[in-house]
Amino acid sequence: MNSKQNDNYDVIIIGGGITGAGTARDCALRGLKVLLVEKFDFTNGATGRNHGLLHSGARYAVTDPESATECIKENMVLRRIAKHCIEETDGLFITLPEDDINYQKTFVEACTRAGISANIISPEEALRLDPSVNPNLLGAVRVPDASIDPFHLTTANVLDARQHGADVLTYHEVVAILTSNGRVEGVRLRNNHTGEEIEKHAALVINAAGIWGHDIAKMADIKINMFPAKGTLLVFGHRVNKMVINRCRKPANADILVPDDAVCVIGTTSDRVSYDTVDNLKITSEEVDTLIREGEKLAPSLATTRILRAYAGVRPLVAADNDPTGRSISRGIVCLDHEKRDGLAGMITITGGKMMTYRLMAEQATDLACKKLGIDKACETATTPLPGTAGKDPDNPHHTYSTAHKAAKGRQGNRVKEIDERTEDDRALICECEEVSVGEAKYAIEELHVHDLLNLRRRTRVGMGTCQGELCACRAAGVMCENGVKVDKAMTDLTKFINERWKGMRPVAWGSTLDEAQLTTIIYQGLCGLGI
Amino acid sequence: MAEGIQLKNISGNNLEQCLKCSICTAYCPVSAVEPKYPGPKHSGPDQERYRLKDSKFFDEALKMCLNCKRCEVACPSGVRIADIIQASRITYSTHRPIPRDIMLANTDFVGTMANMVAPIVNATLGLKPVKAVLHGVMGIDKHRTFPAYSSQKFETWYKRMAAKKQDSYSKHVSYFHGCYVNYNFPQLGKDLVKIMNAVGYGVHLLEKEKCCGVALIANGLSGQARRQGKVNIRSIRKAAEQNRIVLTTSSTCTFTMRDEYEHLLDIKTDDVRENITLATRFLYRLIEKGDIKLAFRKDFKMRTAYHSACHMEKMGWIIYSTELLKMIPGLELIMLDSQCCGIAGTYGFKKENYQRSQEIGSRLFKQIKELNPDCVSTDCETCKWQIEMSTGYEVKNPISILADALDVEETIKLNQ
Amino acid sequence: MRYDTIIIGGGLSGLTAGITLAKAGQKVCIVSAGQSSLHFHSGSFDLLGYDADGEVVTHPLQAIADLKAEHPYSKIGISNIEHLASQAKTLLSEAGISVMGNYEQNHYRVTPLGTLKPAWLTTEGYAMIDGPERLPWKKVELLNIQGFMDFPTQFIAENLRMMGVECQIKTFTTDKLSTARQSPTEMRATNIAKVLANKDALSKVSERINAISGDPDALLLPAVLGFSNAESLDEMKQWIKKPVQYIATLPPSVSGVRTTILLKRLFAQAGGTLLVGDSATTGQFSGNHLVSITTDHLPDEKLYADHFILASGSFMSHGIRSNYAGVYEPVFKLDVDAAKKRDDWSVTNAFETQPYMEFGVHTDKDFHATKDGKNIENLYAIGSVLSGHNSIKHADGTGVSLLTALYVAKKITGKG
Repeated sequence: MNSKQNDNYDVIIIGGGITGAGTARDCALRGLKVLLVEKFDFTNGATGRNHGLLHSGARYAVTDPESATECIKENMVLRRIAKHCIEETDGLFITLPEDDINYQKTFVEACTRAGISANIISPEEALRLDPSVNPNLLGAVRVPDASIDPFHLTTANVLDARQHGADVLTYHEVVAILTSNGRVEGVRLRNNHTGEEIEKHAALVINAAGIWGHDIAKMADIKINMFPAKGTLLVFGHRVNKMVINRCRKPANADILVPDDAVCVIGTTSDRVSYDTVDNLKITSEEVDTLIREGEKLAPSLATTRILRAYAGVRPLVAADNDPTGRSISRGIVCLDHEKRDGLAGMITITGGKMMTYRLMAEQATDLACKKLGIDKACETATTPLPGTAGKDPDNPHHTYSTAHKAAKGRQGNRVKEIDERTEDDRALICECEEVSVGEAKYAIEELHVHDLLNLRRRTRVGMGTCQGELCACRAAGVMCENGVKVDKAMTDLTKFINERWKGMRPVAWGSTLDEAQLTTIIYQGLCGLGI
Repeated sequence: MAEGIQLKNISGNNLEQCLKCSICTAYCPVSAVEPKYPGPKHSGPDQERYRLKDSKFFDEALKMCLNCKRCEVACPSGVRIADIIQASRITYSTHRPIPRDIMLANTDFVGTMANMVAPIVNATLGLKPVKAVLHGVMGIDKHRTFPAYSSQKFETWYKRMAAKKQDSYSKHVSYFHGCYVNYNFPQLGKDLVKIMNAVGYGVHLLEKEKCCGVALIANGLSGQARRQGKVNIRSIRKAAEQNRIVLTTSSTCTFTMRDEYEHLLDIKTDDVRENITLATRFLYRLIEKGDIKLAFRKDFKMRTAYHSACHMEKMGWIIYSTELLKMIPGLELIMLDSQCCGIAGTYGFKKENYQRSQEIGSRLFKQIKELNPDCVSTDCETCKWQIEMSTGYEVKNPISILADALDVEETIKLNQ
Repeated sequence: MRYDTIIIGGGLSGLTAGITLAKAGQKVCIVSAGQSSLHFHSGSFDLLGYDADGEVVTHPLQAIADLKAEHPYSKIGISNIEHLASQAKTLLSEAGISVMGNYEQNHYRVTPLGTLKPAWLTTEGYAMIDGPERLPWKKVELLNIQGFMDFPTQFIAENLRMMGVECQIKTFTTDKLSTARQSPTEMRATNIAKVLANKDALSKVSERINAISGDPDALLLPAVLGFSNAESLDEMKQWIKKPVQYIATLPPSVSGVRTTILLKRLFAQAGGTLLVGDSATTGQFSGNHLVSITTDHLPDEKLYADHFILASGSFMSHGIRSNYAGVYEPVFKLDVDAAKKRDDWSVTNAFETQPYMEFGVHTDKDFHATKDGKNIENLYAIGSVLSGHNSIKHADGTGVSLLTALYVAKKITGKG
C-alpha cells in the first residue's frame, strides 16, 4: 500500500481521524505530496466516539448561529460527496411537557435565519413519522438532520488521498517534531508495532491530532490551550427510532438519539476532564444513569431496550488565545498558523470544530498550507464525490442481492464491487449480526489498512452487533491468519479484541448484556481456554 | 418512568433477548437440508435488526421457514424466533403465492370439492398420470400419497346420526373439527363424540366453521386467513355465550387459533382464547378434578410410540395427551425423540420440498421402525400423513386410542 | 398434576437428577425452558481443573479438600466425592455416552484453539492427552472441511507446533458438504453432523480422507459427527485407515447436543415427564415448604410435588437474572449470594476473575435454597445456579452439575 515511500513530502499530516484524513485528501487533490501518519488506527479518537450525527445545524441555531450556518452548508455538501456514508433520516426537535413551548418559535426563526429548513408539525404527525417518539410531546419541528458513519467516511477520505498519491502510515506515532532554525522540517516516527524509529521530512507539518494535538504542540515547544471535554454515549441493541430525535430547548446533556446502522445511540454527557485521563476514559454509573433517564424522555421504549455498550470520546476544545483561564471556549473551527502565532514556521494546527465540519476544517488548513507553499489551486472537495459515492452504482436493479451484499454496500458504497463474492467461501458470513462476509473482511484486509481485529471492526462492523463478537471474533481471527497475519499475533489480537468489547459492555452489564458477557466468557475462556 | 429504568428488557417478540448462542440452528429441521435457507437465528433476530433499518433487507429466502416453532422451543432466552420470521413475511413480502400454493392452502375449499366426488378423487389422485400432472403442472410431488377423502363429511354424519341426541345431555361442549376430520377422517370426530357422550357431555358443531387458516398463513395468504379467522372467532364467541367450551382434536388448528390469530393476523381473541382447548386437555383436567371418570376395556392391549408434534410442543400440552394415554391400563407408551416429521402442513406436498421433507423426517422414521410399535400416536393430522406414508405404521390420535380402549357402558355408569 | 419430584431445568444437572430419581422409582417431572449450556460443551467433563491459585490440578480429590467452605464440593463433603464421581461416569455410560478418564488423575483435552485444558472425563474418540510434555503424537494431520469456519485450524496447528508436534493442515470436501456450504450462515458443526448422519455422505467423507491423508501418527478432525448417537463416530473409525481423533469446535457443540438427546432419552425410558420449552413462573409456598409451581404454558395448573429441585443454570441460562437494580432468582425470588453494588459485579479486565461468575442461589450445607433468610425444606438447588464456584477459574462446571445432582437425588431418596 505504501510502496513508493519517500521521506520528503510537501506536507505531513498528523492524525488519522476524520480531520487528518480530510486534510490529507484535500492536500492530495491539490497536488501536494502528502504523508498521513496515525499513531494507532484511523478513527481511534473522537472521530470514532461520537453520535454519528449529520447535524442540520438546528441544534446550534439559537445559541451559535455561526456554527449553525456552517453545519447546514456542510450537511448539504456531505449529502453529495459522501452519500454512501449517510442515511437521510431527517430529524425531529420535540417539545415535552417540561419544556417551554414558546422556545419552538425562537428555534424555528433562528433556523430560518441560518438557512435551515424547519417545519413545525403536529404531535400526531411526529408520532406517525416516528412511532418511538415520546407520545406526551407538545410539539415537533422537522429538520434535515441525518445519520452519518464516521468510520466509513474516514476510510473514504483516506482512500481518495491515496488514490491521489498520498502515503499513509498507521501505527506510526510522532515522537519528535524536527526543527531547524525556527522552522519545522519533519517528524520522527515510532512504529508502534516494531518500536523502530524513522524520520520523515516535509516543508509543512499539519497537526490534526485532535485532543492529542496538545502533545504534538508541546513537542514543538508551542502551547495550545486544550480543554478536554468528555462525552459519553450509549448504544442500544436495535433501532428504536427512525429519525434523529432531539429536544427543542437549549442544548443540554443526553438530548439526541440517532439511528445509526442497525442500532441507535443516545448522547452525550459533557464533562471537562483533566488531560491525563484522555487515554483512559472511565465511564461512571452516574453518566449511564443520566443517559438512560434523559433518553427515555425522547423515546420511552429505551427504558426497556437492551443496551449493548457505552463509550466515551473527548472533544478537542480550544480556549481563545487571549484567555488563559479557558473560560471563553470556542466550539468553532480553530486553524492556527504557528508562524504567525508562535514564530515557528512550517507548522499548522487544525482543531476544534465538529466531526461533520471536517471538510471545511480540511479546506481551511489546506488553503493555509497552499498559501505557504505558494500553490494556487482551488479546493475541490466540496464537489468531488468520495470513493464509494463516486462512480456508478454497480448493482443491477433486476438482480436480487444477498443481505450481506446490501449491508456491505451500506458500508463500502459503490466500492462493494471490489468485494469478492464469487465463491461460497467468500460469501460465508463471519459476523452474522452485522452481515460481514469473508469477502468483505478480505477486501478490508487488503485495501483498508487492517492490521488487527480492531481495525477490521472499524472498517466492516465485525463484532459491533448484538453479541459483541461472541463467535465472529474467532472466525475473523481465522480469516486474518489466512490472509497474512501471523498466528501468534492473531491470537493476542483476539484476546485484546474480547477485552475491548468487554470494556464497552461493562458499564451497562446487566440483563441480557451481562448474560451475553457470561456466554462469551464461557465460550472463549471456558471452552477454548483463551487467556487461561 | 424514571423509577423503573432498565428493570425489564423487553422488545417485539423478544428480539433483543437473543444471545446469538445459535442453539436454535441445531434444531431447525430446514437448515440442515436446505442450504438456501439462512436459518432461524439469521432469518429471525439477526436480519430483523437490519429490516428495522430498511425494508430492503427483507430476504425472500426466509419463506422457507416451516413455522414449526422448534427454534422457539429450543431457545433458552425466550426469543420468539419463528414469530419474528412470520411477522416480517407478512409485513415485507411483496410476492404473490403461486396457484399451487393457493390450492394447497385452501384445504376446506379443495376438501369440499373433493368430498362430493371422493371415490373418483381418491382413485384419480392415486393414478400415475394424474400424479404426473399434479407433479408437473401443479408442483405437487408425485411420491406423495394424498390423504384419502372420505365419502361422507363429518358434518354430514353428525347431522344425520348424532345431532339429535346431543341436546339430551346435561353438559355441553362445542367441537371445532377442522378440515381433516371433516373431509379426510371423520372417524376421529366420531371417536370424540363417543367419549364425550359417555362422560355425559353433548357435542355440538359451531354455528359456522372455516378452516383455521394455518395453511393460508404458511402460503402467504394472510388476508384470506384473517377473514376466515374472524368467522371462527365469532362462532367461538357465540359458543362461549352458551357456556360451551370449544374442543379440538387438531393441535395445529388449536395453536393457530389460540396463539397465531392475535399477533399474526390482528384478530382479537383474548376474550375467547381460553375457551378453545384440545379435547385431551379438557378430559385430563376433568378427570383430575374428579368431575368425570373413565373405564377401560380389560382386553385392550397396545404398544404405541408417541410423536411430539411441533405445535403441540410449542403449546406445551403434550403432557395432557400423554398423561391421558398413561391412564389406559393396557397401554404401553414410548416417547419418541422430539423432532419434526418433515411434513409441516402443506410444505411436504410441494415437489420442490418433497426430498427435503423426507430427509427432515428420516431420523424419526428410523426410530419408529426400530421400535416397531403397534401404532404411532400423535395429535397432529399432517404428521399422521407423513409418518404413515413414510413408515407404513398406522398413526392414531390419542382420542381415537382412548375411544378404542374405552369401556363405554362402564364409563356411562361411572358418570351418571 | 402431582409428582414425587419436580425439577426446574433440563440441562446436565437437571437431567442427571431426573434420571437418578426416576430410576429409583419416583414420578419425576422436568420443566425445561429451552436448551441448555451443554450446547457449549467441549466433549469433556471437568471435576476440578485449577486450584485457587490458578495452578493446574493433577489430582482433583486432593485439591477439592482445599476448596473454601462455600464451594459446592465442600458441602458435598470430600468423603462423598469419589463415590458420586464414579456414579456419574456410570450414569453417562448408561445413557450411551462413553467417556474416558478417572477422578484420581486429570488428563488434558485439546481446546478448539489447540491449547490444553485439564479434564476429568473425555468423550471416546476425542483427543485426550497425558500432559503438555507427553503428547501422544510426533506428527499429525489436521483435517478440516472446506469453508467450515468454526474450527480455527491455524490456531490449533500453531499451538500444537509449540508443543513440538509436526502439524500439517489439509482441507477436504464432498458433494454433500459443498451443498451445505452454500449457506452463508448455517455451515455449523451441528448442521454438518446432520448432513453426515447419512451413511452414504459419511462414507464419501472417509473416502476423501483416505485419499488425502499421508502417514501421520493421527488424523485430527473437527468434532462434527454424531448428532443423536455415536454411530457415525464408530463407522468413521472403521472406514478410515489412520487413527482418528476429534477436537471440539466452536458452538453449537455436537457432543453437547448428543449428550442432551441421550440423557433425555434415558430420562424418558425411566418414565420421567419432560415439559420442554416451558418455564416455571412462580411457586406456592406454605411456610417453609414449597407446595406447587406454575408454568408458563400451564398457567391454570398447579404442579404439586414432595420435593423440588432448582437446576436452572446461571445468568446465560437465566436461572439467575440481573437488571439495573440488582441480581435475583426469577422463579421463587430465593436468596442469592451477589454483590449489591453494580460496580462490584465485574472487573475491567475480561480475563481476570469476574465476581459475577460466582453469583448464584444461596444454599445451606444440604443445598436447600433459602427465601427471606429461611430454609425451604423441600427445595434444593444444584448445578450452575449455585453460588460459590467459578467454572472459568476452576474448570469445575460440569463436575458441580453432575455431583450436586447426584448428591441431592440421594438426599431425596433418603439414601444419602
